[in-house]
Amino acid sequence: MAMNSPNDPKPSIRVEGGKVVELDGKQRADFDMIDTFIADYGIRLENAEAVSKMDSLDLARKLVDINVSRADVVKLTTSMTPAKITEVVGTMTVLEMMMAVAKMRARLTPANQCHVTNLKDNPVQIAADAAEGSLRGFAEEETTVGIGRYAPFNAMSIMVGAQVGRPGILTQCAVEEATELNLGMRGFTAYAETVSVYGTEAVFMDGDDTPWSKAFLASCYASRGLKMRFTSGTGSEVQMGYAEGKSMLYLESRCIYITKAAGSQGIQNGSVSCVGVPAAVPGGIRAILAENLIAMALDLECASSNDQTFTHSDLRRVARSLMQFVPGTDFICSGYSSTPNYDNMFAGSNWDADDYDDWLIIQRDLKIDGGLVPVLEADVVAVRNKAARALQAVFKNLGLTEITDAEVEAATYARGSEDMPVRNVVEDLKSAEDMMKRGTTGVDIVKALSKGGFEDVADAVFGMLKQRVAGDYLQTSAILTRNFEVISAVNQPNDYHGPQTGYQISDERWEILKNIRQAISPESI
Amino acid sequence: MDQEQLIRQIMAEVMTSLGKDGVTFQKKSPAAAGTIGRDQYPLGEKMPDKVKSATGKVLSDFSLEKLKNGELTAEDFRIAPETLEMQAQVAESVDRESLARNMRRAAELIAVPDDQLLIIYNSLRPYRSTKAELYGIADELEKKYKCTVNAAFIREAADVYEKRGRLKAD
Amino acid sequence: MDEKTLKRIIEDVMKEMAVVGAPAPTGKPAGRTDNATTSLVISECGPAERGTNPREVVIGLAAAFGGRQTQTIIGLPHDQVLREICAGIEEEGLNYRFIRSFRTADVGFIAHEAAKLSGSGIGIGIQSRGTTVIHQKDLPPLSNLELFSQSPLIDLETFRAIGKNAAKYAKGESPSPVPVRNDQMARPKYQAIAALLHIKETQLLDPNKKTQELRVEYR
Repeated sequence: MAMNSPNDPKPSIRVEGGKVVELDGKQRADFDMIDTFIADYGIRLENAEAVSKMDSLDLARKLVDINVSRADVVKLTTSMTPAKITEVVGTMTVLEMMMAVAKMRARLTPANQCHVTNLKDNPVQIAADAAEGSLRGFAEEETTVGIGRYAPFNAMSIMVGAQVGRPGILTQCAVEEATELNLGMRGFTAYAETVSVYGTEAVFMDGDDTPWSKAFLASCYASRGLKMRFTSGTGSEVQMGYAEGKSMLYLESRCIYITKAAGSQGIQNGSVSCVGVPAAVPGGIRAILAENLIAMALDLECASSNDQTFTHSDLRRVARSLMQFVPGTDFICSGYSSTPNYDNMFAGSNWDADDYDDWLIIQRDLKIDGGLVPVLEADVVAVRNKAARALQAVFKNLGLTEITDAEVEAATYARGSEDMPVRNVVEDLKSAEDMMKRGTTGVDIVKALSKGGFEDVADAVFGMLKQRVAGDYLQTSAILTRNFEVISAVNQPNDYHGPQTGYQISDERWEILKNIRQAISPESI
Repeated sequence: MDQEQLIRQIMAEVMTSLGKDGVTFQKKSPAAAGTIGRDQYPLGEKMPDKVKSATGKVLSDFSLEKLKNGELTAEDFRIAPETLEMQAQVAESVDRESLARNMRRAAELIAVPDDQLLIIYNSLRPYRSTKAELYGIADELEKKYKCTVNAAFIREAADVYEKRGRLKAD
Repeated sequence: MDEKTLKRIIEDVMKEMAVVGAPAPTGKPAGRTDNATTSLVISECGPAERGTNPREVVIGLAAAFGGRQTQTIIGLPHDQVLREICAGIEEEGLNYRFIRSFRTADVGFIAHEAAKLSGSGIGIGIQSRGTTVIHQKDLPPLSNLELFSQSPLIDLETFRAIGKNAAKYAKGESPSPVPVRNDQMARPKYQAIAALLHIKETQLLDPNKKTQELRVEYR
């Protein structure tokens, strides 16, 4: 069941001597690992008992009411138990939830994230696609691998490519936890996202972690000046075989509380890769919006999914996305496939490269800002080519496998990996392994770029490395401008409180968003 | 706690020199004097001459030229405990206590080498360690790197793992 | 399989799980036929031991493989799947052994367990629905040498190639990885049924049961 299961616990909390002795109907002696962790770290206790006794419908009204400030709502929501907040959002329609999202999103300005992957793990194509993604307006870019051992190359390629397209883009490489941390420590990535948490203890064990190990991992990232968010989503417990008969939303709400308790600044949620499960049950898409809303209500950055195929119906996939697209979230998609979906190694996104024009037209039609901007074909070709050449120089100067001029040319115009020459995978994997053994770091990449004559790209990668010294992007919902200015929920918090407040599309921005006559389709390249 | 003392001292210095540079604080931070708040954020933009790397180099002195001629190495691109403490205070100034708590755990872990961190993380995963092994890790963190908060956190994990049967079987 | 069927299955499963201690369901999953002409007989022969033969690959089966479930998500009979994997290993002149894990249904862990027990340090893990991993003992459990995460895309040819590559890794070679496949529409079509099959797998888990050595016969 997606929401409102009769098996969900009734909300309750009892605090004695500053310690939670009862949580959602369970006594401390019966707490599992997750209950313990949430009770000890995840709830503001001063008003917890009082808030628990408040009428859930009344609390839901406060979430929607433009006359109750975000800050006041956060004081209440962060005092709720997982069952309480599930009950509160359970009273709301999707329209009311969208109103609440407009108010509760942490950062003032919405943004977007893309996936940059391909079926062959071709690094040159990753660099070119990453550059195009930056140009198109994505604030964050995520890659992953078909073959695990390609991870160092993919991480390096997306970082270099993204900085060519627009300095200040945050990049990550989603792989096994320890490997991902290692890539971050070396300066190959700026942030991490696939730090998965789960709503039942059994599933947590299969995910090979505990709340404590994940919280420790969160601290590891921060200790190296790396941004990080957790990932969870309704349906994962069903998908992984242990749902304990609870509603998907209640289990997800436990995940969001673990995230909060661990001190992560944010979360990627909205069913994510398990979307097929909630999408197959009544009210499932509503539950996905509800989980995004819970994350925001707990004052977390929310990367709101919209990143996985779940239907053959174009109408359904757009309807599903409007829930986040219209009110705006910290990252509406997490992410949008910057390649045609056949190259999307997250098994296909809800939006792909062939949909760019539709996304832009929807922004124009509704006058909403979904983070993307129209681009000119000549600009796309130029950044793709430069990214491929920059990566060619990096590979050459780091003594890695060769990137030929023919590959650079192909990547410049490629729609997807079908248009790319085949690389010697065995040699690439050996080369990547050698590079890791040599201890190559982001500093070496900067030097290699500079040596290859790409001074501006070297400067951009240097700028990214500098971010980790200041740590400003460790604050909630942080992204960077092209001049490496940090925009986060600290210096640009969402202050929506009704019409003409909160994020407003400026005249200048509107000129850019509406001017899409020269928009290109990937096929025309 | 001497670490806190040190941090307070650094904070005091930072605040004094900020005053000299003519930066004023129109809005008073909710916390007592000596703490950093949202008005000083982003630190890298508003006070780069007060932000130092873990190796003690000042952020405003960082340049691409220095990286290229080898004056700046990979080690220099690491955040300092003092900076994370300042970020923790920024987080607190906007009521994000759990984020601040994470940043303070992280501040302790800066001193722990990369490889060691990965080993500890893997040891904290389910069924990887005995209770004694986890307590041993906590002791080492405390003695060798002064990670008191993390040590307590790991001991707490060990106790919970024991209760829930998530320790190494043999 | 249409959406309505999927919904019903999901609802059924949710109901089943709500009833604590209820007997395991015996109904067949709709849309799939469980009467495949399988001749696979798998029996347990005691706790699995660490092998010493450097020329072996250990194949780890998930709890329901070849027992409560008899075919992959796209209906490939489990006996044929095993025959193909073994043929791939034999082509490289190596031996194989079978084990079954009862403590986890996660394919990464199953493969890692197999790798740790393997004399060569190389193992293959396979779930009933067909998801497969080639693993090496000194990698983290959720890392891998090769991962075939989209079970609907794994055909018999791929299973043979998986066996062959595993054997090559065991011999210390660096084979070209089996080409990765991707179908962005596999999720809408199969995710719910995959969830169901996985739930059936986890129902057979026993946290106190040691990994068992298996005898596999084709009758």
